[in-house]
Amino acid sequence: MPKHYRPTGKKKEGNAARYMTRSQALKHLQVNLNLFRRLCIVKGIFPREPKKKIKGNHHTYYHVKDIAFLMHEPLLEKFREIKTYQKKVKKAKAKKNEELARLLLTRQPTYKLDRLIRERYPTFIDALRDLDDCLTMVHLFAVLPASDRENLEVKRVHNCRRLTHEWQAYISRSHALRKVFVSVKGIYYQAEIEGQKITWLTPHAIQQVFTNDVDFGVLLTFLEFYETLLAFINFKLYHSLNVKYPPILDSRLEALAADLYALSRYIDASSRGMAVEPKVDASFSSQSNDREESELRLAQLQHQLPSSEPGALMHLVADNNKEVEEDEETRVCKSLFKDLKFFLSREVPRESLQLVITAFGGMVSWEGEGAPFKEDDESITHHIIDKPSAGHLYLSRVYVQPQWIYDCVNARIILPTEKYLVGRIPPPHLSPFVDNEAEGYVPDYAETIKRLQAAARNEVLPLPGVGKEDLEDPQNLLYAGVMSRAEEAEAAKNKKKMAAQEKQYHEELKMEINGSKDVVAPVLAEGEGEESVPDAMQIAQEDADMPKVLMSRKKRKLYDAMKISQSRKRSGVEIIEQRKKRLNDTQPSS
Amino acid sequence: MGKRSKTSRKGKKAWRANISSEDIEDFFEKTTRDALSGGNLSAAPSEDLFHVDKSHDLPVKRKIEKHRERVLRVDSILKKNPFVQLVPSSKPKLKKSKKTIVIEDKAPKQVQKSVGDDSVMADLWGDDSKGEHESNPRKIFKNPSIIPAVEIEHPGCSYNPTTESHQDMLAEAVAQEMQKVYKTELGPAPVPLTIEGDTLSEDERYFLDVDNFSEGEDNENVENEVSEAGIKLKENPFVQLKPSSNTNLKKIEDKTPRQAQKSVGDDSVMVDLLGDDIKEDLKYFLEVGNVGEGEDNKDVKIEVSEAGNNVSRKTKRVTRVELNKRCRQKALRKKETKEKAKEKILNEIDSLPNILEEIAKEDEDKQNKHLRRVIAKQEVLKIRPPRLGKYKFEAPPVQVLLTEEMTGSLRKLKACCTLARDRFKSLEKRGILVPSKQIRRF
Repeated sequence: MPKHYRPTGKKKEGNAARYMTRSQALKHLQVNLNLFRRLCIVKGIFPREPKKKIKGNHHTYYHVKDIAFLMHEPLLEKFREIKTYQKKVKKAKAKKNEELARLLLTRQPTYKLDRLIRERYPTFIDALRDLDDCLTMVHLFAVLPASDRENLEVKRVHNCRRLTHEWQAYISRSHALRKVFVSVKGIYYQAEIEGQKITWLTPHAIQQVFTNDVDFGVLLTFLEFYETLLAFINFKLYHSLNVKYPPILDSRLEALAADLYALSRYIDASSRGMAVEPKVDASFSSQSNDREESELRLAQLQHQLPSSEPGALMHLVADNNKEVEEDEETRVCKSLFKDLKFFLSREVPRESLQLVITAFGGMVSWEGEGAPFKEDDESITHHIIDKPSAGHLYLSRVYVQPQWIYDCVNARIILPTEKYLVGRIPPPHLSPFVDNEAEGYVPDYAETIKRLQAAARNEVLPLPGVGKEDLEDPQNLLYAGVMSRAEEAEAAKNKKKMAAQEKQYHEELKMEINGSKDVVAPVLAEGEGEESVPDAMQIAQEDADMPKVLMSRKKRKLYDAMKISQSRKRSGVEIIEQRKKRLNDTQPSS
Repeated sequence: MGKRSKTSRKGKKAWRANISSEDIEDFFEKTTRDALSGGNLSAAPSEDLFHVDKSHDLPVKRKIEKHRERVLRVDSILKKNPFVQLVPSSKPKLKKSKKTIVIEDKAPKQVQKSVGDDSVMADLWGDDSKGEHESNPRKIFKNPSIIPAVEIEHPGCSYNPTTESHQDMLAEAVAQEMQKVYKTELGPAPVPLTIEGDTLSEDERYFLDVDNFSEGEDNENVENEVSEAGIKLKENPFVQLKPSSNTNLKKIEDKTPRQAQKSVGDDSVMVDLLGDDIKEDLKYFLEVGNVGEGEDNKDVKIEVSEAGNNVSRKTKRVTRVELNKRCRQKALRKKETKEKAKEKILNEIDSLPNILEEIAKEDEDKQNKHLRRVIAKQEVLKIRPPRLGKYKFEAPPVQVLLTEEMTGSLRKLKACCTLARDRFKSLEKRGILVPSKQIRRF
């Protein structure tokens, strides 16, 4: 008898009872595969990998409770209703009853996903935590061409564009952007909202096409959910800024594809309007039939704004808005490009740079209609250009390549522009997401940036290569986090001196007890200088070992694992350094 | 009726006599019946036949209603009694359902619909405090894997990377590619669909079949004993058993006698198993091969037969002296073994530190092994998704610029990939989608 045989009527147990295959689930739910896939995506139910695959390795398994959860979803009923309705339409069309078909189509049943969003993300923080994929997807579909074959309508692409612009406007307005990294794949951004780090990837605008190896139907289902999610998040975020959510934009700017600028103006205007409104009339905004009027006022306010200086206005408003509490980092980010004015050439990626510059407090304009200021503005300090040579040069401004902006933002200081000037190959663009300390290997340019940062803070760093021993010692590393390097060095010196003194004192005591006075003290003191160092090291090592003994087995093992990975990393760094040395050796000869 | 057929059929009169007048007769009959009963019903107007009942007594209706309203006792028991209070545990949870309805009401319009018209959206997370308790009946939403949704690439994938990290990344990309190449090179060759060579004619095929059939049974036995040669025999039995054939035969010769001898020494039962077939075969081989060796083998065979006969033999009687002797010997042996064990224990006690050391070493090894396994598992989880379906997840190639493509200019950046593929792969990698086969419609 096979092991898995179970007499009829006996209950199943174990993996056989807990998991079912996809086709079983389909039968259970009485839906077709397409619908099942959509439901799973929308509901957030994923296949599982059971320890023991009852039906074989080639099946996909779902948890029984997940399927039961799907079974009780009201959306399932809704989908069925839609299906039957489609049949009606089809029938009408088949009978050449065009009028009825049209009528039926106007009254099509629709479904909403907001309940599901609420269910999947019970709190706002939960939603923010899971925003990475959402943002990336929406940004991707904002640049894809609309396609009939893939069922991607123009309306949806526009909706995606709108959502991304709203998001970017919020980021730049709240100065939440922290890191930017331009890679081959696209541009990585990292922002911090309510303590949550949100990372997203936007594609380079060039050449986003439909490929054959991707199932766009699935992606579009994801997109549907993400669009809804992002809209609700934008709503919440805009309301935190006291701005009404579905924003009303200046149609002229919208037509000129300057949505981001229009949005930022909208936010400025409406937040100022909101700030002013309660003083004028408290009951004015609350009443619903006055809403039209207030909207009108808003639009007027937008037009009243002097188009030449949006940044200045932004500062004004920001000063007024004191209820938005800011942490240290936001303040730094906000004032990085404070008094700088940028002008973007045609060939640089406009949206990305616009987002970055405004997020860090700068003013920006570009070539084209509807721009805040013209190219010949005297007060422009930096001209971003990505051509081998600029045509007409204004002496009052610096012509730099776009990478300068990104590097400045990542380093949080204004870097010197010499290396980034027009026509030169800029220094390497380093990833801000790499923790150089943890990695152990610091590229040359990172070193120079570090020194520049230190210079900006009026501090002196020790020369590279000196602090190597300190890095080895975990105790000292801990100190390094607390105090600056110079202090630490001094402390170490003091410590050593103290130890020496103590030892000498003990020796002297011993000598006194022995009563032998003819031992030469200074000679001993000299010897002690060398001896004390390993002694201290030993103590440190013992200190490090002590907690290891006290740790629980699990923690100890984890600790050991960490140690192993560290050693691996270190060996990797050594390899890199060797390689670099070899490279340096070969280059001068060639 | 038979008579009617006898009437004449000549002339007009004769024809007329044959025409039946039944319908006319029926009509007259009917009219007379109507006249007697008082007029034709179908001809009478409906007012005469029916009249609208305008009186107000409703006995009939009431009768029907009454019938309808009657409730069976079974049903009446099940009906809710207003005087009986509900047991609190059995109360339906009305509150919860109401709340969910409220939420739905709060967000009345779908977002996609709201693109065109600026509908009022609601704050989904207006009351965050309740959020965690209220909905989320099942902790459904947890990420299936620890892989982040947006993986940040290695610094070598920067559009303008440092030389070191770029080299690092390039090496990785090259390794990936080479792995693919090696896999195709070193893997087993695919089974060819066609094989070169001439086709067999009908006659030849017939002969082959016959040969295979006749030799089959004998050869099976040979195979059992002569394992090495057996495989070759099976492949081409006919040719190899021919006396004029080559060195393979010699191998078989060398092999067979040795095995036969062995079987004699081990067990007499084996001999019987060796059956007649193999003996014949052996004889055949020997005739073919060396005569000298063949003679030896004949002797062996005789021995074999003798051994087969000696199976049953009488047991010898044991004398008392012998028994006593055995007893003594047994006691002595017991004593010896005891002493030996004692000595062994003493030795072990002496070497206790060594044993402890060994145990410690073993423990350490075990721990290291476990540690290695834990780390390996973690690292695997970081890079490889769970196996969810028929196909394995295949990692997308690393997106890194070639050395000659590095220009340092954002404008000249080569457009190498769409993000859609990356997203799709990421979904697969995180275990959200089941990896599918690569090929799609074109």
